[in-house]
Amino acid sequence: MKVLLRNPRREIEVEGPITVVKLLQRLDINPETVLVIQGDTLVTRDARLADTDDIEIRPVTSGG
Amino acid sequence: MKCRRCRGPAVIDIRRHNAAFCRDCFLHHCREQVKRAIKDHQMIAPGDRVLVAVSGGKDSLALWDLLTDLEIEADGLYLGLGIGDYSDESGRHTREFAAARGRRLIEVDLRDDYGFDVPEAAAVTRRAPCGACGLSKRHLFNEVAHREGYDAVATGHNLDDEAAVLLGNVLRWETGYLGRQAPVLPAAPGFVRKVKPLIRLGEREMAAYCVLTGIDYQVDECPMAAGNRHLGLKEVLDGLEERSAGAKAAFLFGFYDRGREHFLDGAAEEREGLAPCPECGSPTTGTLCAFCTLRNRATGVEIPVELRVGPSPPTPVGRLPGDG
Repeated sequence: MKVLLRNPRREIEVEGPITVVKLLQRLDINPETVLVIQGDTLVTRDARLADTDDIEIRPVTSGG
Repeated sequence: MKCRRCRGPAVIDIRRHNAAFCRDCFLHHCREQVKRAIKDHQMIAPGDRVLVAVSGGKDSLALWDLLTDLEIEADGLYLGLGIGDYSDESGRHTREFAAARGRRLIEVDLRDDYGFDVPEAAAVTRRAPCGACGLSKRHLFNEVAHREGYDAVATGHNLDDEAAVLLGNVLRWETGYLGRQAPVLPAAPGFVRKVKPLIRLGEREMAAYCVLTGIDYQVDECPMAAGNRHLGLKEVLDGLEERSAGAKAAFLFGFYDRGREHFLDGAAEEREGLAPCPECGSPTTGTLCAFCTLRNRATGVEIPVELRVGPSPPTPVGRLPGDG
């Protein structure tokens, strides 16, 4: 699947299927600090992502 | 996961509430949390005119949307900071939001109206840019609200912002700042009431609110904030939260309920001896207020010796919300 990351903006490939929580673990991202967007829908930690999905991992932490 | 309210498919989980919500129930949850914050802390009375400090980011646009949804008369104030493409994009998001909802947006531009911008102030004064930015915001939000006759200034400080500020001030035992950290700062001569209706919502919830309501906000981080102290404090708190859900809320709300009362003397001392700034009229503990001092330094204006800020107020090594 294609995974869009921000700050800086970049795209990586990750093999699916995989759950949201496992994806974040693999990328060493604290789930408290991001939203995971599948297509145009938010998904919870237990959601299963398919190999064909377009995923965005959007950081939510702002610095001031 | 299932929605806690309606048992439909959930789109967001909130571990500190041990709950997940579908879109509609999550938006209901956000409205209820804002209503509760406003009621519990008597932030806004019926008929109040509120000025929302809007940056184009998720928190302030969500706040403006929520207040409008709750039928509170809320206009926006956008401050142009002069931070290159970032400010251009932030302004665009703000203007589009205001236009789509038909709300009044007041714009102030640091460069056009005061002769300097944040990068220049940081370079000239050798202060961290976030310090100059926060100082300018606090001053101008109050000045414009006062001039335009608003009853309150509402800022988008959320639970994460406030917990990080609290941690920073505790680490340095900034007793004056601890006494002033509150969901509401009441009106005082020269000061408009300041309210923080998002204190019961985390920044993950605010970002989710924007995604689920289609609010197009500035997602990219301010380039001047990268690596700042505030982000470091949030990283520490996020680590605690991941290990122990609810840690941030317990830290912040415990302080409001049982901690802050022990620091009120320090805050009262800081408000004693306030006098109008000879340049702008804003209350200040120094001879010239901190904003006019910053502006004069940034624009190269020589400050007469008798107006230079003396040993007080102390150098703000602690943080107030908005310092970045």
